[in-house]
Amino acid sequence: MENRNFHQTFFLTRFSLKRDWLKLTIWSGLLVILFASVAAKFTTIYDSQASIDEIVKTLKSPSMVSLFGKLPGNGPYTTADVFAGEMTVFMAIIAAIMNFSIIIKNTRGEEDSGLLEIIQSHSVGKLSNLSASLIELFIINLLIGLLYGGGLQVANLTGTDTNGNFLLGLGLGATGFMYATIAAFLAQLVDNSRSATIWSYVIFGLMYIARMTTDISHPKATWFVPFGWVEKFSTYQDNDWTPVFLMLGLSLILSIAALWINNHRDIGSGIIATKPGRARASIFLRGPLSLFWRLHRTTIIVWVIGLLILGLTYGSIFNTIGDILKTNPAMKKLVGSVAVQNANVLIIKQFVALLMIVFGVLALFPGIQIINYLKTGENKGYLELIHSKPVSRTYLFTSVLVLGALTSLTALFAGMWGLQLGGASVMKHPIELTVFLRGFYAYISPIMIMLGISSFIIGWIPRISVVSYLYAGFALFVEYFGKLIDLSKWISKLTPFGYINKVPVHQMDPGTFWWQLILAAILIILGYIGYHIRDLNSAN
Amino acid sequence: MMKQKSKAILHIDHLQKNFGKFQALKNVTFDVYPGEVFGFIGPNGAGKSTTIRTLLGILRASGGTATLFGKDVYKDSVSIHKKLAYVPGDVYLWPNLTGGEIIDLFLKLGNTKHSKKTDEMIKRFQLDTTKKARTYSKGNRQKVALVAAFSTDADFYIFDEPTSGLDPLNEEIFQKSVLELKQAGKAVLLSSHILSEVEKMCDRIGIIRDGEIVETGSLSDMRHLTRTVIQFQTMEPTTELRNLNGVHNIILNTNGLTTFSVDSDQMSSVMDYLSSKKIVSLQSTPPTLEDLFMRYYNSNEGR
Repeated sequence: MENRNFHQTFFLTRFSLKRDWLKLTIWSGLLVILFASVAAKFTTIYDSQASIDEIVKTLKSPSMVSLFGKLPGNGPYTTADVFAGEMTVFMAIIAAIMNFSIIIKNTRGEEDSGLLEIIQSHSVGKLSNLSASLIELFIINLLIGLLYGGGLQVANLTGTDTNGNFLLGLGLGATGFMYATIAAFLAQLVDNSRSATIWSYVIFGLMYIARMTTDISHPKATWFVPFGWVEKFSTYQDNDWTPVFLMLGLSLILSIAALWINNHRDIGSGIIATKPGRARASIFLRGPLSLFWRLHRTTIIVWVIGLLILGLTYGSIFNTIGDILKTNPAMKKLVGSVAVQNANVLIIKQFVALLMIVFGVLALFPGIQIINYLKTGENKGYLELIHSKPVSRTYLFTSVLVLGALTSLTALFAGMWGLQLGGASVMKHPIELTVFLRGFYAYISPIMIMLGISSFIIGWIPRISVVSYLYAGFALFVEYFGKLIDLSKWISKLTPFGYINKVPVHQMDPGTFWWQLILAAILIILGYIGYHIRDLNSAN
Repeated sequence: MMKQKSKAILHIDHLQKNFGKFQALKNVTFDVYPGEVFGFIGPNGAGKSTTIRTLLGILRASGGTATLFGKDVYKDSVSIHKKLAYVPGDVYLWPNLTGGEIIDLFLKLGNTKHSKKTDEMIKRFQLDTTKKARTYSKGNRQKVALVAAFSTDADFYIFDEPTSGLDPLNEEIFQKSVLELKQAGKAVLLSSHILSEVEKMCDRIGIIRDGEIVETGSLSDMRHLTRTVIQFQTMEPTTELRNLNGVHNIILNTNGLTTFSVDSDQMSSVMDYLSSKKIVSLQSTPPTLEDLFMRYYNSNEGR
């Protein structure tokens, strides 16, 4: 071959597929089962035209458009339309998470850990690892897409057609691959995997917000947002393949850009280089707590500001959501303007009640990440020297716990505050902060239980620490999505969020608050005991 | 002996550690005294790092006792660590902090401060403290940990293969700095498999094999257990040499010299025999640590 830059690419692709087979199987298995089982369930929930019309009315309301995207086309709608309307944006979000984590691990992550250097010392092209990772994810996304399409064929919802089934399936696969190339590109720009992950999610978040805003105000403008392309499939209505080609086109451009940067930089470096820093520590860096703050500073700030912005964005559509007169102009005459105002506020409260779980679980992630640092930092060997200092395990444990809990609660508060500020900016009669704080207070206890579970796992079985994230993701799925797909009530009771009453529509329930806090305290104490008696891990 | 024991800074008695069914440490017993450098040698996987991590309270012993300054290494780890400095074999540092920040952090965690001694050590090892740890090589990461350890005022120092990433110049600086600690009456536990380093620096040595201490003592003590290589020429033939106790590996060289090795405890009787045959020339080579080490490990093969 003339160009040796891609030497052994296919060998590395096979090697990656072999190395990652478990991860890939679990991810794709989970996604396909989730997708197909929801489809199968839909045939029983939306079996009559009346139930379909009911849900379509909900899906067409601004609040649902902001969450799930705009329902394309015109009625009469079928079960298949409802399915596509509810699932498309949601599956795209999960695809982003999967692709970000795998591609960043396989490119910049391998470089960080020095493994890539060993691979490249062999007869392997300079661009082979990156291209192999891209091919690996192309294959897996294609496979997932085909399975989605096949699953829809089997589920055979009323109103489906083969073209639409494979458009939705392969379109979601293309979406996944597009996210992989976005992250691959960013991983070449910065010089470590943590920054690559943060940047990928920042870009993702911005696109989500842009998609949401355009959907509400100018649906045509959503064409400018790559995230929004999934909505433009218009599955089972127009069955438009244009967005799929747009995604593949963007993926190609980003892949070429990533490969170009990779070819023009040194191993271990990025375009955005690491600058030299201080020769001496500042007086604020003095112990475990300040060290952990320093290590997670960027993460914490990104999450808190991110939730504030998310809150602001949702808040800024309150005037559209809470405008009952739009749908029913005669109402003002019938019940008077005070009653209309109250009804508007109630609608907004209902909307916020549905959103609470999103804010609650998003606020959990940075907290879990900080608590899990006792495991990740241990495995990377960063904590071994700390363990040899006069710092007790209790102190270390308390430090991550305090920082983690404060981060989660601050992020949740930022979200609530954002809602209020966003609402105040567009409403004539803004809703007071105290209303939103009901949600904040009520969610303190389930968040503490979730963090208590994380600390319990870190104390006793650190190698399954990822379970904390999965459980939080499960809670989000059940609470946010479960109502739409009519999950049984008992499933919701499997997470602490299922016991919280509808806030801020109602006041928080002090009884629930206290028993949950006591349970959280027990979990934390047990975790502390486990951490105290277990062997600490080291890098080798 | 009792008197000596009471003075020991580190006292390990029948220490055991299991990981599930695997017995990483079967029987580790040794003491370290103030003002001495104790060499802890053994090949990879023999249990050196496991022993050290148990001493640091990172791992919990499955049996036996280990005390530092008379305190239990697990229960009293916090108060022990006030007087202890440690450099691991593989130093991992937070990529987004600079070397200087990490040194200061380690000092603060040990309740000390950046001192003149710290600056001197940074200069001695020629470390650029403004660089982010991400950009450091293995040797530079080790220097960060070494600077922090040497500028800590501890009574007990643990070095786990500290020079594996250092160049010969820095290795020399390391040896010099350890010597200073020894002169100041500190106790040092130096784990290594660079035998020349151990031979040069250590007062006493412990050899670990398969989680068991197989030998402890000074290098000269140990030499008694091994063979000296002797090369000689005599006027009269030495035909009975091969029948003497403790004589091995006789080789007749073409230049008329004979080489053999002899067990140290049989030395005098062999010498008496040789001198009775009128010695023309005689050269003896004391066993190196390497010979000693190989002897312990090669005897493992028979099992």
